[in-house]
Amino acid sequence: MSVETLKLCSLVVLLAPLVGAILAGAFGQVLRGRTHWPAIFGVGAAFTAAVYILIYVFNTPAASTGISIPIYDWITNGTGSSFKIEFLIDPLTAVMLAIVTGISLLVVIYSRDYMREHGHPERGYERFFAFLALFVFSMCALVLCGNFLLLYLGWEAVGLCSYLLIGFYYGRPAAAAAAKKAFLVNRVGDSGFGLGILLIYLNFQTLDYKFVFALVDQGLIASGEPVSPALMTTIALLLLCGACGKSAQLPLHVWLPDAMEGPSPVSALIHAATMVTAGVYMVARCGAIFSASETAMTIVAVIGAVTALFAATIALVQTDMKRILAYSTISQLGYMFLALGVYAADSAIFHLFTHAFFKALLFLGAGSAMHAMGGVIDVRHFSGLRRALPWTYATLVIGSLALAGFPMFSGFFSKDEIIHHALAAHPVLGGMALLTAALTAFYTFRMVFLAFHGSTRVPEGVHPHESGGWMLAPLCVLSIGAVAAGYVGVEATGRTFHHFLSPVFASTFAAAHPFEAGSHATFWSAYGLMIVSGALSIAAIAAAYLVYVRQPWIPGLIKASAMGVYRLLWGKYHVDALYDLSVVRPARQTGRICVGIDDYVVDGLLWVITALPRGIAYLLRVMQSGLLQGYALSMVAGIVVLLLLAL
Amino acid sequence: MPDTMGYVIVGAVLFALGLIGFLTRRNLIVIFLSTEVMFQGVVVNAAAFARFHHHLEGQAYALFLLVIAAVEAGLALGLVMLLYRRKDTLDADAWSQMRG
Repeated sequence: MSVETLKLCSLVVLLAPLVGAILAGAFGQVLRGRTHWPAIFGVGAAFTAAVYILIYVFNTPAASTGISIPIYDWITNGTGSSFKIEFLIDPLTAVMLAIVTGISLLVVIYSRDYMREHGHPERGYERFFAFLALFVFSMCALVLCGNFLLLYLGWEAVGLCSYLLIGFYYGRPAAAAAAKKAFLVNRVGDSGFGLGILLIYLNFQTLDYKFVFALVDQGLIASGEPVSPALMTTIALLLLCGACGKSAQLPLHVWLPDAMEGPSPVSALIHAATMVTAGVYMVARCGAIFSASETAMTIVAVIGAVTALFAATIALVQTDMKRILAYSTISQLGYMFLALGVYAADSAIFHLFTHAFFKALLFLGAGSAMHAMGGVIDVRHFSGLRRALPWTYATLVIGSLALAGFPMFSGFFSKDEIIHHALAAHPVLGGMALLTAALTAFYTFRMVFLAFHGSTRVPEGVHPHESGGWMLAPLCVLSIGAVAAGYVGVEATGRTFHHFLSPVFASTFAAAHPFEAGSHATFWSAYGLMIVSGALSIAAIAAAYLVYVRQPWIPGLIKASAMGVYRLLWGKYHVDALYDLSVVRPARQTGRICVGIDDYVVDGLLWVITALPRGIAYLLRVMQSGLLQGYALSMVAGIVVLLLLAL
Repeated sequence: MPDTMGYVIVGAVLFALGLIGFLTRRNLIVIFLSTEVMFQGVVVNAAAFARFHHHLEGQAYALFLLVIAAVEAGLALGLVMLLYRRKDTLDADAWSQMRG
């Protein structure tokens, strides 16, 4: 395969979903119930092309450092420099593209059945597939692009699609509010991100990844002067601000749990597997910038570890299956940030890769349960579903085992690796990650046991039924991924995944890598942590089994004995209330004051200015009676006057 | 020239009657008839002055005016018909949308 074919493939990856979106949007009213086909074909074509790209990059040594594919000059400014529409294909891009399009394809297939019953009366089916395909286009643009300007474009476009899909059931006030919240919280992050990009352009005179990273590596700004550490820290922190918004890290995590108001396939694709990982991708991509600042890296690691623990504790008490999974997503993204912060970007991407499978699986499984329960997703309202939904149960358990880090499942390997790196770099953060791992296993299986075990109990008037083949097939494929995805990155397979990715991070991360497997080759350091974290995971699952299946009175007892802690967790540490008090209400008050000024001061001033012509008009309008004979009379009077004057 | 004076007076009376009718009546057809009366007053004047000057131009002019009046009558009655169809009334006061 030549570079020309690569160019063609990357264009297909980018444009096929866009064409699908346009077809679904434009001809949706004709296609009606068949609108999923343009989306499936568009995303399917993109996936095929992405697999080709992955194979090409894997087999071409030259591609490991990145191939630039210019498409055309987009903006040329007066000084002769220009912004190009240009792709950068390297192992990181190839892996991300394959993940994004692969998971998207499965989710689109799943949605074919799911959206029939959970559509929206207002052209719901067509709208959904058009937006979903548009999202895939935006995400591919974000991943493929070769400069910061296009990155920003893709970044905003995925934000838009996320807004549109969270607010899919716009008739529901909660959904409309959640969409607005997601958009606004992301704006906070994006404003920082935009400033970071501007700062890059000001200092390096280019937005092209390759040139910027090359300059950063040399430690020079465009004018040839050495770059100051403070500048690098500022740029890195501004970019991190954007990443925190998109990837729902503290303190901008508040939008993600609310985003679960969208349809379940959207939660699976956008708010778990792909879009929220954009922040992780961006930080990994800008590794050169981040690793140039020790401070920024520490902050990334701390944010990651704190977010992971914070979200995991909240997930312990939530009762909405999708919210539990949302908090677990925040927590897992925290792991990825922790890995980025301890110079282990390859581990972060590895976790991103395995997480995409099992988290998409869990959300689609929860969607399947919700489908069977007629839209109810609160685990207090049903239990014992394993008899009615055997397939959903089986796949969901596989996903949960992977999330819980049960030994030999994909999540186990990737999470273990991150904890390993974290312990070596910052023991405290590593300890937090280890604790989070145990909590993760506990709350995941709390959810499974509450929903699927115990006596069969369903909401009033609901007849649970297993979902159809269109929904179960993606679940099965994802289950295989959730079990097997981890094996591409373990010692037994030669850590293929990491070796494949390493050229991307080599120049910046290798020098700072504090831990290498080879340098600590004793049995205990290599396998000790694996045994500890595996044991923790099994113990936590066993504890969940004991507490929620064997002795169901214990949770109530714990709740009663630690009411303060319970309230704190149930209220999500009251972060939402704090923001409401400190930001939302003042903003709303300011808005009211502005409306008042507009209504009374500005409008009043205008009233005064326009009073004179209005007064004159008021006097003159008497003359215009609109009656034919009135005018005739004035004509006669006029003639009489003229005659009198003439005589 | 008392005879010419008489014609001119007849013309003036016709014009004045037409004007009064035009200003006071509300029925569109009557209003239209009033304008015709005013018109005929003018035609009478034209004929009278032709006689006064011993000229045929004025009388020829009067004939032209009659033809034009006939054409105009057809047009105006058509308009009145349209207006009647719109509002089902011939009252001129019904048409006062241009009121300021």
